[in-house]
Amino acid sequence: MTLLKEKIFDIAIAQSPKEVVAAALKEIEERSFPERKTEDWRYAKLGKLLNKNYQSESFGVKDISSYLIADLKVDLVVLVNGKYDVELSNITHQEGVTILPILEASEDDSFKFHFNRLASRNEEIFTSINTAYNQGGVFVHIAKNTVVKNPVYIINITSGNGVLSNARNLVVAESSSQSKIIQGYYSTEGKENFTNSMTEVFVKQNAKLNIEKIQDFSMDDRHICTEEIYQEKDSTALMNTMILSGGFIRNGLNIHVDGTNCYSEMNGLFLGKDEQFIDNHTKIEHLKSNCVSSELYKGILKDKSVGVFNGKVIVHKDAQIIEAYQQNNNVILSDEARMNTKPELEIFADDVKCSHGTTTGQFDDEAIFYLQARGVSKTAAKEMLIGAFATEVLEKISLDQVRDFVTSKI
Amino acid sequence: MSQTILKVNNLQAEIDGKEILKGINLEVKAGEIHAIMGPNGSGKSTLSSVLAGRDEYEVTGGEVDYLGMDLLDLDPEERAWEGLFLAFQYPVEIPGVSNINFLKTAMAERAKHKGLDPISAKDFLTMVKEKSALVELNDKLKNRSVNEGFSGGEKKRNEIFQMAMLEPKLSILDETDSGLDIDALRIVANGVNTLKSDDNATIVITHYQRLLDYIVPDFVHVLYNGRIIKTGDKSLALELEERGYDWLIKDFA
Repeated sequence: MTLLKEKIFDIAIAQSPKEVVAAALKEIEERSFPERKTEDWRYAKLGKLLNKNYQSESFGVKDISSYLIADLKVDLVVLVNGKYDVELSNITHQEGVTILPILEASEDDSFKFHFNRLASRNEEIFTSINTAYNQGGVFVHIAKNTVVKNPVYIINITSGNGVLSNARNLVVAESSSQSKIIQGYYSTEGKENFTNSMTEVFVKQNAKLNIEKIQDFSMDDRHICTEEIYQEKDSTALMNTMILSGGFIRNGLNIHVDGTNCYSEMNGLFLGKDEQFIDNHTKIEHLKSNCVSSELYKGILKDKSVGVFNGKVIVHKDAQIIEAYQQNNNVILSDEARMNTKPELEIFADDVKCSHGTTTGQFDDEAIFYLQARGVSKTAAKEMLIGAFATEVLEKISLDQVRDFVTSKI
Repeated sequence: MSQTILKVNNLQAEIDGKEILKGINLEVKAGEIHAIMGPNGSGKSTLSSVLAGRDEYEVTGGEVDYLGMDLLDLDPEERAWEGLFLAFQYPVEIPGVSNINFLKTAMAERAKHKGLDPISAKDFLTMVKEKSALVELNDKLKNRSVNEGFSGGEKKRNEIFQMAMLEPKLSILDETDSGLDIDALRIVANGVNTLKSDDNATIVITHYQRLLDYIVPDFVHVLYNGRIIKTGDKSLALELEERGYDWLIKDFA
């Protein structure tokens, strides 16, 4: 059996370089699971996730049609329980785009150079577990100066009952390349699966990379999803996170801006219902001067759902002339839903322009009445206002087809 | 004889346990314009709110018959579908909701309720063009979010534009003149007058006589302390303008 709480793992260790796995195993021994008093995890109830006896048997995935995005040509990568599925994947071999199962990438120089460089700096035990026990995943390499026509769509499916899946991906966008990656995280009908994902992303000099992330799990599933993004000078990284469903979702998005003249953008939309728990932790570290970062997260919480937003902006001592904007707006639609929001700014430089703001409230009754008084039914009026609230974030999605796909699931 | 559109009988209403309307009687027939005047706090806005169905107010007594229906039994949207229109004193800004799209939704819902086909996109656009010209509302404003960033005058013109689109049977204009400069007032009044017909009726709630120079009422009612204390013709409005309310009120204080 696999029981996280006791650190008992009855799953194969990752087929990564021995020293990487050994270090991760050691970290697992040394690190402890977050407790209620761990500040970064104080709202997350991990008891059920840690006490579950996990297994690894998949139901088998044959039909992926419901995850496909209409009218969008993509390089399709399908990972089932973290494992690259060659049958379901469909790679078109675009020039300059290399897509390899991680298990087959071990001889690739770029892979060897980049793999685990960012994840090894992450101090969460879940990252160590992912590094030690991942089942592969995908390596995406965009060559220098390549403008990629069709986005790469990575479908991560968790399938089975009580499955622990450690999906692990690596994206390297070489200098002056332009590309888009769509990351979809889904689960089939099973129950109480735990998907523990890690994606490392390098955005090299003057490169531009968009990541569109969609999370749509069954309401019994749990998901911890971490991205470590590293930006070199003159680069642009944009990441949109759309959280549609899932029982327990914790996102950790970390961007290290290690070059001048960079632009970074993080946006998120989350829709909570029933007893869902949705936690977005973001951290942007400005290490060099003349950069701009912008962040907008919006949440809509119904029923007894609980939302968390924690956005950290760190401006290091030598990072001057930084503009960092952060905004988190939430709407609570029931008496029992809760939102916990916390912006954190740590600024050690002196020439910095930072702003942050947060609002949490209910829909304006006056607006609902106004619409009703014109002949829009109350239900439609509320939907209209939810749509209007979400639109600002949905408009950030860089591909119309992805926006339509997300909208159709709201 | 003209059709009775609205018959209010001994209407009483309160908010947060405070009695505001203490027995209103009012009959409005097709083709008529009624003005309701009164000092601040007399219950004018409460009356319009209760008629439009705002749920903060609790009706504690009386009846309101609207075209043979029990008005108080209808939800606000049902009242709208049946041809009741309230022009808000303070039109709400609704960011992200398109001015035109929400009207289209409202009209589609009304058509569905009435068992009719929704208006075609082409007819809708023709209608938008025609009706917006009536209140000189330009394209930019029509396509923006509802009232967002509109000036006070633009908001009121937008109210009359929506009224024109919905072609109501009974329009209630709640202090539509407040905050309007003379040009905007003229445009708004012109819109209202153009929409007036023998089949519909208008209730103009106002504090000042000024609007009534442009929208000439058939009846003027003075509301005070939750009751209509005097009803007259348009000359009553002029008299109020000249003498104030005190001469009327002192008998009721």
